[in-house]
Amino acid sequence: MKIYISGLYSGTNPQPGIGLARSLRAAYPNVSLTGVEYSSRSSGLHWVDFDELLLQRPWEELDLDTYATIIAQLLDSGAFWLSGIDLEIMWLASVFPEGHPNLLVPPGEAIRRIAKPAVEAHRGLPVRIPSFVSAAEHSEWDLHAFCRRHDWKVWLKGPYYEAVRTNTWDAVESARTAIKRAWSTDNVFIQAHVTGYEESVCFSAYRGELLGSAYMRKREITQEGKTWAGDIAEVPDEFAVPLQRIVKDLNWTGGAELEMVRDTNGQLWLIECNPRFPAWVHGATIAGHNLAAALVERASAVRARKTRVVCEEFARIVLEVPVRPEFPLPPLPEPYAGGFGHSLKHPSGNLVLADRLHKLKVIDSDRACDAKWPPGERTQAPAPAVPPSFISDLNTFDFAKLATPSWLFLESTAASLFRRAAEMSERLSTAAIKVTNAYSIKTNPDERLMRLAYQSGFKAEAISLLEVQRALAVGFKPDEVILNGPGKWWPEGLLPRSPLHAVFCDSIADLKRVASNMENGTLQAKIAGIRLRPPTVPSRFGIPADSPDALRALVEAVDTLPRDCEFGVHFHMASSNVGVAQWWHLYDALLRWCRAIETLSQRRIQHLDLGGGWFPDDWHIDSDARFAEAVERVRTHLPGVTQIISEPGKAMAQPTMALGMRLLEFEQSRGEIKQAVVDASIAELPMNVVQPHRILHQHARSGEWQPLRRGNTQLFGRLCMEHDIVATNVELPVHAQVGDLLVFCDAGAYDRSMSYVFGRG
Amino acid sequence: MYLAEAKGLEVSEQVGHALRAAIEAWQDFPSSELSDHARPCCGIAREWLLAMDASQMPAGERLAGPRWIRQRVTWGPSRWPLYWCEAVAAKTLDCGVLAALAKAAFRGRGVGCHTAQFIQQYTKGDSCHWYKSWERAEAEVHWILEDLVYHEACAVIVGDNEIRIWDPTASWWVDPKQVIGYSGVLAARVLAAQDDLPRHFTWGTHRIPLNQWQPLQYAAELA
Repeated sequence: MKIYISGLYSGTNPQPGIGLARSLRAAYPNVSLTGVEYSSRSSGLHWVDFDELLLQRPWEELDLDTYATIIAQLLDSGAFWLSGIDLEIMWLASVFPEGHPNLLVPPGEAIRRIAKPAVEAHRGLPVRIPSFVSAAEHSEWDLHAFCRRHDWKVWLKGPYYEAVRTNTWDAVESARTAIKRAWSTDNVFIQAHVTGYEESVCFSAYRGELLGSAYMRKREITQEGKTWAGDIAEVPDEFAVPLQRIVKDLNWTGGAELEMVRDTNGQLWLIECNPRFPAWVHGATIAGHNLAAALVERASAVRARKTRVVCEEFARIVLEVPVRPEFPLPPLPEPYAGGFGHSLKHPSGNLVLADRLHKLKVIDSDRACDAKWPPGERTQAPAPAVPPSFISDLNTFDFAKLATPSWLFLESTAASLFRRAAEMSERLSTAAIKVTNAYSIKTNPDERLMRLAYQSGFKAEAISLLEVQRALAVGFKPDEVILNGPGKWWPEGLLPRSPLHAVFCDSIADLKRVASNMENGTLQAKIAGIRLRPPTVPSRFGIPADSPDALRALVEAVDTLPRDCEFGVHFHMASSNVGVAQWWHLYDALLRWCRAIETLSQRRIQHLDLGGGWFPDDWHIDSDARFAEAVERVRTHLPGVTQIISEPGKAMAQPTMALGMRLLEFEQSRGEIKQAVVDASIAELPMNVVQPHRILHQHARSGEWQPLRRGNTQLFGRLCMEHDIVATNVELPVHAQVGDLLVFCDAGAYDRSMSYVFGRG
Repeated sequence: MYLAEAKGLEVSEQVGHALRAAIEAWQDFPSSELSDHARPCCGIAREWLLAMDASQMPAGERLAGPRWIRQRVTWGPSRWPLYWCEAVAAKTLDCGVLAALAKAAFRGRGVGCHTAQFIQQYTKGDSCHWYKSWERAEAEVHWILEDLVYHEACAVIVGDNEIRIWDPTASWWVDPKQVIGYSGVLAARVLAAQDDLPRHFTWGTHRIPLNQWQPLQYAAELA
């Protein structure tokens, strides 16, 4: 009997070929094992268990039809083919749509039904699928929302290989571009991270018959997340029974691995299902589950030697083996300038194979992310939804007279946001606790917004005395002003003489200064309080309490505050940066810290100032119930609180302004605009790398607004700066012309307030 | 430890003798409890631990082990009695202190938690090093009996009678599936004084009677 085994790579992300050879050799001492490889760099070529080697040229050099014929001849001659390479398996499944008794790979339809992330075939197993969103089918706006919802603990994954942990928007964009470039696909998805212990089920099956399975828990993991040691157990019945049904349903042939994570509550999450044996397959053999032998035995009807249970645990080691003289080592590639030498990535041409299989429509020909879509039907990512008020506000401008780039104040949008916030604070207020909004002046000190805040009953939240003066100029009274931050006393001499609403201290020194100034009458405020620095999120702001000594110092300092002023605690953390769930977790932890401070200082907390950095959708959409619960929790944990000051930050300002700009130049090549230049720049959109902007194009003749979809055009800013790219990967309409107007929405917060003058002479 | 020594860890009557002696020696070994000065120093320590744990706990995951406690300190000798204020300030803590702090953290989250005690098997060579370290620190060494050691952890209630055991020294959940060999758990006990507790807890496939040493798996036959 002759068995061909492919996938011999044995580096830090190993393929299963070596493990398969070891397991089959244990079961069939006299069988002929042929290792199949596509690069002489693969160290598995030199493994002693292979009697013969079939070294092919890398995939980019192979004529696939010829190769398919060769493999068909081998199979027809009685040899078996056991593949350890996902892409090769997909290709073989397409070459042999009816299968072949000696080809030990699953059918194409079965591979499609285990495609990640949905893994359609998982139903019945006691597992859940982590939330995911297809990057190809959702707008940037939606993807950003998904990342926020999952606290930026997300992975960007390609359909076959590659998974990159992306904890910022910038990282999402970079990884997406890299994966697209490498694997010739835009069919990537973002999936929520699940924290827990990694476990796997490996099985082998022949024509729908489950032949054996093994459960593996990773006990040592490499930095790349690969198994380095594990223990093996029987697959429990609640898993094995549905698995048997699924295998039958799929008419599975070959090996497979279900990779899972068990969270702290014991819930299993299915991360992916691989259509081949895992690299640790010989670990299962050591524990008495020789799954590769079971497969060959069933396919060949040649009895395998019984596998002895050596141990239920296995570990990996690094071995040096002699190189086969027939396949001497190739030289190391020349290191790139400034780099250091390393082996080529994918020397066997996997990337090219992916590209070729795309073109042959073998892979990625349907939506792997969403099994409900019929095969072959692909749609473009939708354009982001743009609120109708944006359009109606934009239609009030006479753009013919407008010099660009220009900030556009969306008046009715702004008015409705402030009205809604005021109504929400009314609704959330209870007999015991009044909810008050505060407007963060630094987010956008535009007088129109500040006036709206004032008219809507907001307090003004300032970080400097200059900002205090600006608030007073708009009409706020000193007792409607909240003073925060490390530099709030700057510049000297501008402190109002009458009492402020609240002062929150950013350090122990600040707190002592406030206590002293209130004592001697140079500072008056209804509320004096502290800003707490959460111990688990890096922040330069607030008073730390991350050690018992720090907490003691804080409590002692609180004791110095005059007893005749009310006491408050201030907690600000940008929810758009840390994520929505994480913000709420920090909020709950804050309540626990407040209880500690109350208990230790014997000082009732009467005011909480909460907020900062809310992404508008997270604050304005479907948030009432959550905020109401939050108010209720304050009542339970801190019964002395009479006021919650809610500071939504950019949730108020961001939607209220847009940036108008015009197309200066673009070039078409093969019907596609790859790059275009606009008269705006990152000087007007400094938040460009942090958040997406919804972009509208105005039709030159009809004046109609059209939101831009994702595409292949980069929009370059007017500055002579390499990084002045205001948008990557947008699609300009086919009718776009030089001089057309583009409007970047969602630019009313830090884009506006932190914009700078540059390149204007 | 040499391989020959490790082989000695396997099932043998000798281990059975040692285990019986250890159970007898540690029959009345109490749960490690921190003392309280009843002054602000210990009040701050308690409040700090609970608030810190609320921050450190992953969102919504009350059953996540409080690894952060161990991250702040090294494992080593503690001198008893130990007060709350000393425990949170110390740079080195023994397993009893770590278990007491972790137990407080779990209870602060509203999760039921009791003291779990283990008898674990190491080697005489290991014991010798530990003995010297503890002696040098003038701490008591009654937790070592030849190659067997007493170890303390947290029995965390996860179901009606079901527990998982968090080892705050190692920062891992102890695997109820114990195999013969180095650092193997030979016996376990869950200590608790409340009246409303079940008579036994289930830990994996083990049934651990409350307040009684329970030899585990292979060691059960010997003891």
